[in-house]
Amino acid sequence: MTELSSGAAAHGGSPGASSATDAQPILELRELEKRYGFIQALKPASLAFRRGEIHAIVGENGAGKSTLIKLLTGVIRRTGGKIVWNGREVELATPNEAIAHGINAVHQEVVLCRHLTVAANIFLGDETVKFGLLQTRDMNRAAQKILDDIGFNLPADALLGSLTIGQQQLVATARASLRGTRFIIFDEPTAYLTRSEAAQLFALIRRLKEEGVTIVYISHRMEEVFELADRVTVLRDGTLVGTRNIAETNDAELVAMMINRSLEQIYHKETIPFGKVLLETRNLSGKGFNDVSITVRAGEIVGLYGLIGAGRSEFALSVFGRNPRTSGEIAWHGKVVDMRNERTAIDLGIALAPESRRDQGLNLNLPIGLNINLPVYDQINSGIVVNAGEEKRRADQQIKDLGIKTPSRNSLASSMSGGNQQKIVIGKWLNHGAELFIFDEPTVGVDVGTKAEIYRLFAQLLKNGAGIILISSYLPEVYELADTLHVFRDGHLVGSQAYREKSHEDILAEAIGV
Amino acid sequence: MTTEVTPTSVAPKRNFNFLFALTLVGLLLLLCIVLSIATPSFATGNNISNLLRQGSMIAILAIGQTFVIITAGIDLSVGAVVGFSTVVIAGLLQAGVPIPIAIVITLAVGLAIGCFHAFGIVKMGLPPFIITLATLTSLRGIGLLITNGSTINITNEAFTLFSRESFLGIPNLFWMVVIVAIPAFIFLHLSKWGRYLYAVGSNPEAARLSGVSVPKMIFIAYGLSSMFAAFVGIMLAARLGVGNATQGDGWELQAIASTVIGGTSLFGAIGSVHGPLIGAFILATIANGANLLNVNSFWQRIITGVLIIVIVFFDQLRRRSR
Repeated sequence: MTELSSGAAAHGGSPGASSATDAQPILELRELEKRYGFIQALKPASLAFRRGEIHAIVGENGAGKSTLIKLLTGVIRRTGGKIVWNGREVELATPNEAIAHGINAVHQEVVLCRHLTVAANIFLGDETVKFGLLQTRDMNRAAQKILDDIGFNLPADALLGSLTIGQQQLVATARASLRGTRFIIFDEPTAYLTRSEAAQLFALIRRLKEEGVTIVYISHRMEEVFELADRVTVLRDGTLVGTRNIAETNDAELVAMMINRSLEQIYHKETIPFGKVLLETRNLSGKGFNDVSITVRAGEIVGLYGLIGAGRSEFALSVFGRNPRTSGEIAWHGKVVDMRNERTAIDLGIALAPESRRDQGLNLNLPIGLNINLPVYDQINSGIVVNAGEEKRRADQQIKDLGIKTPSRNSLASSMSGGNQQKIVIGKWLNHGAELFIFDEPTVGVDVGTKAEIYRLFAQLLKNGAGIILISSYLPEVYELADTLHVFRDGHLVGSQAYREKSHEDILAEAIGV
Repeated sequence: MTTEVTPTSVAPKRNFNFLFALTLVGLLLLLCIVLSIATPSFATGNNISNLLRQGSMIAILAIGQTFVIITAGIDLSVGAVVGFSTVVIAGLLQAGVPIPIAIVITLAVGLAIGCFHAFGIVKMGLPPFIITLATLTSLRGIGLLITNGSTINITNEAFTLFSRESFLGIPNLFWMVVIVAIPAFIFLHLSKWGRYLYAVGSNPEAARLSGVSVPKMIFIAYGLSSMFAAFVGIMLAARLGVGNATQGDGWELQAIASTVIGGTSLFGAIGSVHGPLIGAFILATIANGANLLNVNSFWQRIITGVLIIVIVFFDQLRRRSR
């Protein structure tokens, strides 16, 4: 309760880094609460959003961030407390009511129509119509003007599906910023963006702020919070822990508020002697990457850093036998192998936790247990039927070992939070066992606590004699963890270094190519 | 330690499925009770046998259809395969081929048709709806070409007698359902192939990256569906004593309806063997009852439609509340 009042005190307190006037908060939460039966998803929270501020909200998965977003966008109804919009108490019972007030959200996953044009998506539900006919040309022109105005270099008549995820995210943002929006919630918008796309997004967010729009920015990435926000509110276990002016706080304090653990403890690195060479690629080329030669030894983390689209994931998919190689060779334990398909790679002892949990990693509408056992069903049969006891035992073991928070192995994977979903993907491969683990962006959309758990798990795998390829576009992660760090740019390997040999800036320069 | 099972893991999902199956059985029983009261001719041995015979064929089609729908596909061809198979088996029998060999050949033809579907889907990249729709129309054409549009009468008494006889007081045709359903249940619910089928339907890319051969599972699903349809064709030929390519008209829709009533999701990855079985017999009971009560047969179609909406709606509610 004391934490609560500290949160409430912060908004009424000293003027922050924000230049926004404190006249009247645009949106105020008073003892806002959400319960599901006996579970309090959000304990009574009080918070005031100032007009034209960028307000970051941070917290681990399950801290109550999504509950808060859903309450503010009318997706779910509160069970207690009040929401005051522009000085007037409002219900916010439906999404339409929220939109009518001018509250909009941009989600991490783009929820637009892939088969329509950019312009059609921007004007979806609000089309220009003359004599009952769509004015496609007018809309294209108007959309192009909007895009040009806000500095997005995108053609308005392109199909949305032909754009990268990052570009689609920018379109979603452009859409949300129209139609009289006064309040936009961004839910981890940069999770799938490249650096330059993120920069464009930030520019737009700052521009919206100047126009007096209030921004709520939810992110796991601390550096973004410090780059962008005026104030930051921390949630933990459904409790509003506190609000800080960004100028008066730092990484360490926020992390301490989010979890009871210090920053150094997150990147867990142990010195493990390298063993024999597991994997060697020799001048490997394929779709999206060219002439890549790397080696991975037992006990080693090989980091592949680069921007999204630099060819790292494509390289990994070829090593895993998912995509064909066009030239070069792959050697496993010193012998050249023909990586015909995924099965070949899996049988050799290679595991891949792919880039997208949703699209590649999980069977979302199936039980957790089935997901965990999917690679091993060949091994756990008695006669023609699956050994049910073994199946349960293996699922429960991973759930227990990894601390997957679920009532049962029969719960659907879709019901899990991002961090727990990532644990399911990892559990699948721990269950199968492998000598080489390829982790492609393992901590995207994962909270700090789970990140730390995943990193400790890496060390455990290395100690057991495995090697790891760690692909990430989050530099601190690969920088702090990788024994050897390779940098990808435009499908080529443009630099390599041992642990902490070069500076962040040098590596970044290599990745961007300046 | 290794045998430790957490007490909280008492499969809530399976209980729910069980509950749904129970609801369907309840509905079926309710129908039977109401019909027994409404018409004296319902609860007679003759009529029940007739009902079981009629329901058996759609039930087997529905099981095969379920495999396909679990992979998020659809098989529109099963009715046509039934008709075509009656022609194949009738032709073979009339040519003097012994019954067992004729049956094996007919099943092989069915399997080949299913493999053709899978080939179209996997290798040619055609949507399941399209490739099976194409077979639906062309297979009837091929059957009519072979027979020159006429009907082949089956003179093999032993073959046709089988469909009329009973074993332990239960019609042979219903025993066929048992013979198909038990291995089907083992396949879908107890073997790794079943798990793979669900995985392919849920997310083929994730299944692939977990080492599941997606093309192989597509071949198995469509192969089984068409083979089951050929099996039904044999049953139908035995029952009617003729081979005719126009038989089984619209049965694909009845099979799909049974599957959906039985709790299968057309989006894939959700379904069972027992659900569609019960679904098929619910539809058969409605048709049978409507006949006995002299309800205009047009009403049957309407009732079936309403039933699909009601049952699937409640199933959706159930899933959402979970």
